[in-house]
Amino acid sequence: MKNNKRVFFLVPYLLWIVLFVILPLLLIGWYSITDTNGHFTLENYQRFFGSGTFLRMSLNSLWYAFLITLFTLVISYPAAYLLTKMKHQQFWLLLIILPTWINLLLKAYAFIGILGTHGMVNQFLQLFGLGPVNMLFTNFAFILVAVYIEIPFMILPIYNAIADINPAVIQASEDLGASKWQTFRYVLWPLSWPGVESGIQAIFIPSLSLFMLTRLIGGNRVITLGTAIEEYFMTTMNWNMGATIGVILIVMMIVVMLITGQRKKGRTRK
Amino acid sequence: MEIIKLQNITKRYDDGFVALNDINLTIESGKFYSLLGPSGSGKTTILRIIAGFTQASSGRIYFKGKDMTEVDAAKRPINTVFQNYALFPHLNVFENVAFGLKIKKKPAKEIAPAVNEALHLVRLDGYAQREIAELSGGQQQRVAIARAIVNQPEVLLLDESLSALDKRLRKEMQFELRAIQKKLGITFIFVTHDQEEALSMSDEIFVLNDGEIQQNGSPVDIYDEPVNDFVARFIGDSNILPGRMIRDFEVEFANRHFKCADAGMRPNEKVEVVIRPEDLDVVAPDQGKLVVRAQTQLFLGDHFEIKAIDSDEHEWLVHSTNSVHLNQPLGLFFDPEDIHVMRLNESQEEFDARLEQYEDDDDEKQ
Amino acid sequence: MKQRHLGARLYLIVLLLVLYLPIFYLIYFSFSSGQNMNHFQHFTWEHYQTLFNDSRLLAIMLQTLLLALLSGLIATTVGTFGAIAIEAARSKREKSSLLALNNVLMVSPDVIIGASFLIFFTALGLSLNFGSVLLSHVAFSIPIVVLMVLPRIKEMDATLIDAAKDLGASSYQVFSQVLIPAIMPGILAGFFMALTYSLDDFAVTFFVTGNGFTTLSVEIYSRARQGIDLEVNALSAIIFLVVLIGVLIYYFLSVRSSRTKHNRRIGVKL
Repeated sequence: MKNNKRVFFLVPYLLWIVLFVILPLLLIGWYSITDTNGHFTLENYQRFFGSGTFLRMSLNSLWYAFLITLFTLVISYPAAYLLTKMKHQQFWLLLIILPTWINLLLKAYAFIGILGTHGMVNQFLQLFGLGPVNMLFTNFAFILVAVYIEIPFMILPIYNAIADINPAVIQASEDLGASKWQTFRYVLWPLSWPGVESGIQAIFIPSLSLFMLTRLIGGNRVITLGTAIEEYFMTTMNWNMGATIGVILIVMMIVVMLITGQRKKGRTRK
Repeated sequence: MEIIKLQNITKRYDDGFVALNDINLTIESGKFYSLLGPSGSGKTTILRIIAGFTQASSGRIYFKGKDMTEVDAAKRPINTVFQNYALFPHLNVFENVAFGLKIKKKPAKEIAPAVNEALHLVRLDGYAQREIAELSGGQQQRVAIARAIVNQPEVLLLDESLSALDKRLRKEMQFELRAIQKKLGITFIFVTHDQEEALSMSDEIFVLNDGEIQQNGSPVDIYDEPVNDFVARFIGDSNILPGRMIRDFEVEFANRHFKCADAGMRPNEKVEVVIRPEDLDVVAPDQGKLVVRAQTQLFLGDHFEIKAIDSDEHEWLVHSTNSVHLNQPLGLFFDPEDIHVMRLNESQEEFDARLEQYEDDDDEKQ
Repeated sequence: MKQRHLGARLYLIVLLLVLYLPIFYLIYFSFSSGQNMNHFQHFTWEHYQTLFNDSRLLAIMLQTLLLALLSGLIATTVGTFGAIAIEAARSKREKSSLLALNNVLMVSPDVIIGASFLIFFTALGLSLNFGSVLLSHVAFSIPIVVLMVLPRIKEMDATLIDAAKDLGASSYQVFSQVLIPAIMPGILAGFFMALTYSLDDFAVTFFVTGNGFTTLSVEIYSRARQGIDLEVNALSAIIFLVVLIGVLIYYFLSVRSSRTKHNRRIGVKL
């Protein structure tokens, strides 16, 4: 393609990169090292690292993200595998994708009813004489709803990865005397790993920013960094502190990505 | 009549690789040309420079005497049949063929008959409304040809156009291409790495290697009188032996002297001798000019391919209609005209000049 | 073997039931005359009547749709141009750095995107209204469009461009009659994804919207925070119905088109 034509295509795109990718990142960095008057300060970072609350919150965020990802994976992997064995796979897939089209907040809202003191779950428990359990506004409720929301996003990439595997390699493994478990451990799992990996990526990072779930289901307490950012930007209006937490979240994200990236390199070298 | 002329065309890539080195060639109108060479020889680069997809690093291209080096591909009166056909997958057969005419804003009532005529020429009547994905490889090939010729180009370029087809279909298309070319009377330039294909279809062949033209001429010339080792090996099977020119019309190889039809070299000059395997006749040992022993033989349907060695452990490739006994002495017989002597590092100009000279001598003698 | 198949089916069916339970729960109570989601009172259309008389909510629905279409259209244009520019990059390094910048917004948590855009708009002195939300939606939809279009360009046979030029097409004709139609499936998929992103988004919009403008997600959030409102249930029922019809139409269209293609192919063989 000749140069002037390429420039024509490149300009709007570059404009987007500069205005909406680079500038916002620079601005959030700038806000994190200034005070409300725009003067340079490291006070926000001192506050973050000097307080147990923030550090505990960071660990909590990672821990919740980890739990949500893990539970989602444990439920989704067998489902994805079984899906590849079904007739009418496209139809089953469609049934699994369909709920993702219902607005996330509507589904969260439904759980307010389901988990409520007089809601469906407690009515069910009462059949067995178990007293009403307060589930709404607990960390358990937050994780449950998050897992519920993320399941389809984990099933899809894993399904695609498993469906791509040549069935002959599974037969070859069995032919070579591998047990079902060995076939899974040494053939199926490594071959489906790219799907698992993209599933993890699609869930881990977004689950750091499910502040609306913690607000609606998790009992309005500030338990993750995502909620903290929302709190500082929208409620207490201390944007500089909010930006600082944002920068720390970004750094954590980069660290997580570098770790997974390095593992990948090690695998290819092998 | 000259239609295309390439003058001192060189193509050098950014990384320093020279794809074409000082190419000069002339294409006449109404003939079927082949650019023949192994992959990486530069044949497709020449085609792309003629079509206008690639710019030469230096040199000029003339079309009917007019310089068109800077003219866009879209503006050249040349069309191309691509290697993988490059049919537009979102258009059906009719729309593909009509594409060029639509671009030129021809009225619809002119387009339809022209497209149908082109489809008729490639024997695809009734396929106009088919989708491209529904066609077989051979049919796609025909659509690609129809799409090019409907624009009535003066030159049609075909880039390895038959290589994706199976052998039987390829033979069939060779006949058809030749017939279409005769019927339209326009120039075809056909790029191929398949020497058989080039030999059977062309009026004239350019043999290329390492970005240079090795030899050009009619199929018979190139087959019978290759200028060098490369051409001899690339065009058909051959026995190539080191030899020595004793004097005009006498050459030594395999430790013997033979009469030959070549002349114009220095006495005792080192040369290479080419004898085609089908020119060797198997005879009784005492009647042969050479005695060899057959090592292996393969039945290839219409002949046997025999590998034999002589007393100097030289390998000989022989085509014979009858089978032979292995490990028995066999005589090989050939005529002086079957021997082709090549000088080392002789260019085609030098070769042609020498040929002219001693053929003149012949005339004088008679 | 049959037993295992039954087990597999059971697992998937239970999973699907769980996935759909909250949605059906919402729909079920949308017909209840009570004020909560605990006990079904009497059957009633009352909440639907309220919904259809709620001109504010209807206006928000229209705004949300308009926003999705408009942002999807702009993002698809810029993203397609971007993909073309990336594919035409002169060096590997240029290409990979463009791709890396493209993916920044793909991997960033929504809260970070929202917060940084909020800072950005404020720094520019833009007021927070439809315009800021539209810009944000365009911005976060562009990378997914690029990722959907890019493989199509890569797969595209580059000689198609040569063929079109050979047949006399100008640059613009090559672009409009060959390049765009050839990558159309990718462009449509990108547009569709951009629509989904826009309709689904809550977090970013929540940050960058002002008093004058709100989307369905934000509206549901603020209503849900005030407790149960069965008008929201009626709304979910309608959304579910619309999604269901859309998905069914899509399914039957895709089944039918694959069948007719199949038949045609057989027809050729005969």
